[in-house]
Amino acid sequence: MEVSRRTFIKTTLIGGAGVTVFGFNLAPVYAQTQGLKIARTTETRSTCPYCSVSCGVIIHTLGDKAKNATPQVVHVEGDPDHPINRGTLCPKGASLEQDILNDRRLLKPQVRRPGSDHWDDISWDDATNEIARWVKKTRDETFIEKDKGGYTVNRLESIGWTGGCTDTNELNFLAVKTMRSLGLCYFETQARV
Amino acid sequence: MIDWWDNQIQRADLLSARANSSRELLTFYAHLLRAQKAIYQYLRSRKGWLPSGDLESDFPVVGNALPAFLKVVEARGPESLASEARDLSERDDDAIAERLMTYWFSASDIQFFEKAFLQPYLRWLVETGTTPLGREFARGEHYCPYCGGNPQVSVLQNKETTAESGNRDLICATCLSTWEFRRVVCANCGEERPAKLGYFHTPEFDHVRIEACDTCMRYIKGVDLTRLGLAAPIVDEIDAAPLDLWAREHGYSKIELNLIGV
Repeated sequence: MEVSRRTFIKTTLIGGAGVTVFGFNLAPVYAQTQGLKIARTTETRSTCPYCSVSCGVIIHTLGDKAKNATPQVVHVEGDPDHPINRGTLCPKGASLEQDILNDRRLLKPQVRRPGSDHWDDISWDDATNEIARWVKKTRDETFIEKDKGGYTVNRLESIGWTGGCTDTNELNFLAVKTMRSLGLCYFETQARV
Repeated sequence: MIDWWDNQIQRADLLSARANSSRELLTFYAHLLRAQKAIYQYLRSRKGWLPSGDLESDFPVVGNALPAFLKVVEARGPESLASEARDLSERDDDAIAERLMTYWFSASDIQFFEKAFLQPYLRWLVETGTTPLGREFARGEHYCPYCGGNPQVSVLQNKETTAESGNRDLICATCLSTWEFRRVVCANCGEERPAKLGYFHTPEFDHVRIEACDTCMRYIKGVDLTRLGLAAPIVDEIDAAPLDLWAREHGYSKIELNLIGV
């Protein structure tokens, strides 16, 4: 059979319903092909953000790369090629998809007033202003410029900062700069990965 | 390893019995697998003989299995393969040996008879730990570490007992052996950028997908055994032939055609 691979493949389908050079009728196969609903996903290797173990994950994103379509995460699984977890994930890591897609995700600021038993909605502007006011008031009242020995320390012990495990590098960078400039000592970004 | 052949045959029988577009392909493939199993059993059952790994010197033994194999293709194959089988059965041993040696040195997926006939022999070499001699080995992680062949199909299966995700293996198109391969990498060119690697699914073939690369425009089909553990990858790959035509329509070409030619 003196035929190149390229010629072979080109002659496999003629007019949409052909036969292979081996002679198999592909018409019924082609008919089924026309009815298929095909979705494209992308697999991206990443690192679980939850703890310092740094398990490898594969994030499956649905999307056909069209410019007007937003890729959507559809599945997250352990990376079997990752030397740390070799495809396994803890229960929290296994629910990582819900960190990205979750109906209960809070999309607006809320405040729980002293003595209240529930959370109230608050606008972004009001939240920002109120936080700034309380930070300034607390700092003005409790800032320690010198310790008992007279040494300059410039510290603020009455405010603490706790970051979240899913905070980004950028957010943590800004948090460190801001909190250090205020003089905070009790400071935790939870950035360990 | 007889079980392995039986599993493939049973799976091909099961799938071909279902009304689907690939019935003709699977029916023939089931017969082909039986013929390949017979070759394998013949080689395995010869007392006092082990393959040397040099096809030329093994041919006097291996070639004895060819007539029965050709009869199966002649009786069960489509007309073009049947007529070629008739033609081959009339040739002398030297001509047959020359054709097989040509394939041995430079394997091609469009040489049906050579590929199908030598698969059981090469599989027997793998199992006996015999190195194929004289072949030009293609080196690289996407070639079979045993015989240098191209991958036929990609397989996902659990290897860690507590893992839900599947490790990826590739099955060799030439010797049917399996080797480990990384998940998010093109099995042809080694592309690793996620945006260049597309995975195409359809509900009609829930456990089979197209693993395509936008850099080299080649693809391989992947069978996910974590979704359907009963699947036999090289058989289910043929059952999902509509995905091949879809991929070809979208500009991708397969790394290695299967024995049906898709």
